[in-house]
Amino acid sequence: MTGLPAGLELVRARALTVGPIEAWFPMEPGDRPLVTAGEAVVAGAPLTDRLRDPRTEVVAGPVEADAEPGTWWAGDPSRGRRGPASRVRGELLFRSARRWRVAAGDPGEPLVAPFAGVVGVVRSGIGLSIRTPARGLLGVDVIGDATTGRLDIVAPRDGYVRASEIDIRAADSILVAGAHIDAEAITRARAVGVRGIVVAGLGIKERREIVASERRARASVHALSPFAVLVLEGAIGRPIAPAMMTMLEALQGLSVAIIAEPACLVVEDPKVGLPKPAPGRVGIAAGPLAGVEGAWGGLAGQIRCAGGAFLEAGYVLLDGRGPIAVPLGDLERYA
Amino acid sequence: MSGSQQGARTPRTLAVADVGGATASVALLGQVDGRWRLLGGLAAPAGAPVDVLCQVVAARIAAVDPELARDLEIGANGQADFPWLRSRSHPPATLLVLAATRRAVGLLESEAVRTGWRCVSASTETHDPREMTALALRPDVGAILIGAGDPPGPDERSALDDLAALGAAVAHRREDLPIVLAGAMRGRGIWGEASRKPDAEAAASTSLRPVEAPAVSGRRGAGADLRAVLDGLLAEPDDGRQALRRSAESLADLLDRRVELVEIGLDGGTRVLAEPGVAGADPSSQAIVTVVGALVPTEADDATVDGVLSWTTGGLDRHRMADRLRDLRAHPWADASGDGARLRLAAASAALMRLAAVTPEFGLRPAPDVTVVAGGAFATAPPAAIALAVAGTIRRTGATQIAFDHARLLGPIGTIEDAAERRALLADLVVDALVPLGTVVVAGGLGVRSTGRRRDRVASGRVHLASDETPTTRDLVAGGLAFLPLAPGSVAEARFEFEYPVHLGRQARRMTVPVTGGLAGLVVDLRDVPMRLPERRDRRRTIVADWSAMSWPRDER
Repeated sequence: MTGLPAGLELVRARALTVGPIEAWFPMEPGDRPLVTAGEAVVAGAPLTDRLRDPRTEVVAGPVEADAEPGTWWAGDPSRGRRGPASRVRGELLFRSARRWRVAAGDPGEPLVAPFAGVVGVVRSGIGLSIRTPARGLLGVDVIGDATTGRLDIVAPRDGYVRASEIDIRAADSILVAGAHIDAEAITRARAVGVRGIVVAGLGIKERREIVASERRARASVHALSPFAVLVLEGAIGRPIAPAMMTMLEALQGLSVAIIAEPACLVVEDPKVGLPKPAPGRVGIAAGPLAGVEGAWGGLAGQIRCAGGAFLEAGYVLLDGRGPIAVPLGDLERYA
Repeated sequence: MSGSQQGARTPRTLAVADVGGATASVALLGQVDGRWRLLGGLAAPAGAPVDVLCQVVAARIAAVDPELARDLEIGANGQADFPWLRSRSHPPATLLVLAATRRAVGLLESEAVRTGWRCVSASTETHDPREMTALALRPDVGAILIGAGDPPGPDERSALDDLAALGAAVAHRREDLPIVLAGAMRGRGIWGEASRKPDAEAAASTSLRPVEAPAVSGRRGAGADLRAVLDGLLAEPDDGRQALRRSAESLADLLDRRVELVEIGLDGGTRVLAEPGVAGADPSSQAIVTVVGALVPTEADDATVDGVLSWTTGGLDRHRMADRLRDLRAHPWADASGDGARLRLAAASAALMRLAAVTPEFGLRPAPDVTVVAGGAFATAPPAAIALAVAGTIRRTGATQIAFDHARLLGPIGTIEDAAERRALLADLVVDALVPLGTVVVAGGLGVRSTGRRRDRVASGRVHLASDETPTTRDLVAGGLAFLPLAPGSVAEARFEFEYPVHLGRQARRMTVPVTGGLAGLVVDLRDVPMRLPERRDRRRTIVADWSAMSWPRDER
């Protein structure tokens, strides 16, 4: 038995929070891990040295017979001919025709731990994990790097943030931008030192512009601070779910972090209470009433919807209104 | 998949579940008057527990027909311990295709996309070793295919050692990763060098699985062995898409008809062509299961978005459509009515086009006697729109009867391993399991109509439908469509007369085609074969809107 009201099991469960968290930080071949499994790290500790402008070098490589792909290797300037090849440092990829392929490049900005934790696994060229007892507010997607900042709500849950509304006072903060934000506002936020944005919907166009902007930032000589956008709902602008917004309001002014895997807003302070939605509450996630919450009223059977489609529905008791039948697919319950 | 039945005595009620990427569907079957009948069904977003779904269905049956429920031992509250038939669609894994040249990668990939793998590719011409290693180490990569010609082409030879060494290094770092070697990549002596062990031992210590496949070539059919190996890596006993093939074979055997089955799901599509056995032989089939046929690919590129846009009538630009498709991919169960239903069908039509493009050999065969449409992508579309979507994408001249697997029974039934048992169950259920949508008659060779100028259209021919109901006669226009009412279960003869000889299975001016009725009736399709839509978006939208108005019950937008 699930203990849920009858029929509510058929509504898709949406997890709002996660905890404890095992965060995964992907690495590329050539990125050098600076931590080992089991090591405790504090927030801000460097985790990996990441390469800028990575490339493949072909060198004679190590003389040791037990050299293995994936290990870090630095050329010895005192050995053999002196030249650029002897200064190669990087990750051994594979050996072919008696010469090693090495993933090398210029040192870039390090990846730093966005929160304290214990290193789980470290797999060179693949990634590393950090375990933390912290809790996270789950989104669907993150674009950008892991980042930290003070949470600042600048728009209501169905609001929209324009570029003109973002100024230098938002530096070092993570902004909650409501239902939607455009690319221009994101560019401005990046320029004034905003560390991250939490938004309900982010379109493909904006995603592509952020990715391109991050690529340019990483390629520049003066690296910018990490920046990320946490998308809570999807691609189309719709209001932040009321239950999620209530939690975000409880975090106003507190230090939080954004990580990509799992895509969430990490809250380290265990004393912060995250208000949970009442049992039996359901949210309407799609359709004309998207963003509205109510109490579950039971299965309604099949209803005829626009376009002649017959869909299985459930009753939702909206505050101050009678029950309405909503297709089960448009509903979500909070787990 | 459990095709087994629980309990010592023969069950009189059977629960059937098909768990897809988007929705879970449950149906209850019961023995009524000595034969299996579909009692009811229900679908809910994926993740809904199928036992709860079954309980709801059973409770509704008990409420509607208490006597039947009592007879079938269904409790009033739906509580019962039914034996189950289950099938499941598994999310696709990623296959990394590596080769020395773009050409070789293209050949390998052209076969790999005709399997259940999602493909990512790289060659030494396009990627450096670091980039190729990065791709191979991605956690979502589930297998690597490294291939070359046998013997290797002159453009490949210089890179083969590097490729083999790269494969060995990746096998060393990810021992859980199956690595498939095709063509001249087999037997390269580099594996031992990379792992410091003799070759045989090295191969045994990793999950290396050399492929006994022919060399990669552009020759049609040469990749069948390679596909079999790749599909074998994904084999699951309860896989719903593989089970559809067995059901299609049983249907062909049962109906003694050539059956084509097309299925579009969230994570992939299936196309099966099954033929009854001749002279007592078992039925045979050809099948392609491919992620290319997914309703919306995981990462929808511009071509995918344009493909969907070409079947829509709205004013969305490419970015907004990409947003809609991204959300459809993330929440395929949501927003399933109104505009959402139209978007789904447009996405399903685009997926059918992709499915047809990767199965060209199917298109060379004559039109099947029966076309079965399956998959949750069609669940909320009206019957005429489903028939039109299939007719507009899987284009062949001739006549075919179209039916819809509305309760998603064919997947679970296909998991029954015993062919005779499967056939017997289908024999009882075929009437309930397949909703007849009607007959689609596609005629080719009538030329291109002048788009948007209705007054200039002149009749190219005429169809006379002689049935027990009121006989119907309709003028036919080149490039146009005609829907003639013909009730489900009705059998009639359609007599066609054209001004000039047309292709309709064969070439003639006058012909008579036996047709059967359905919810959409008789659909006469005189559009181009293959379909050619105008490049200009406004003109294309006008045409698609015309077709849409014919097939959707009312435009409520």
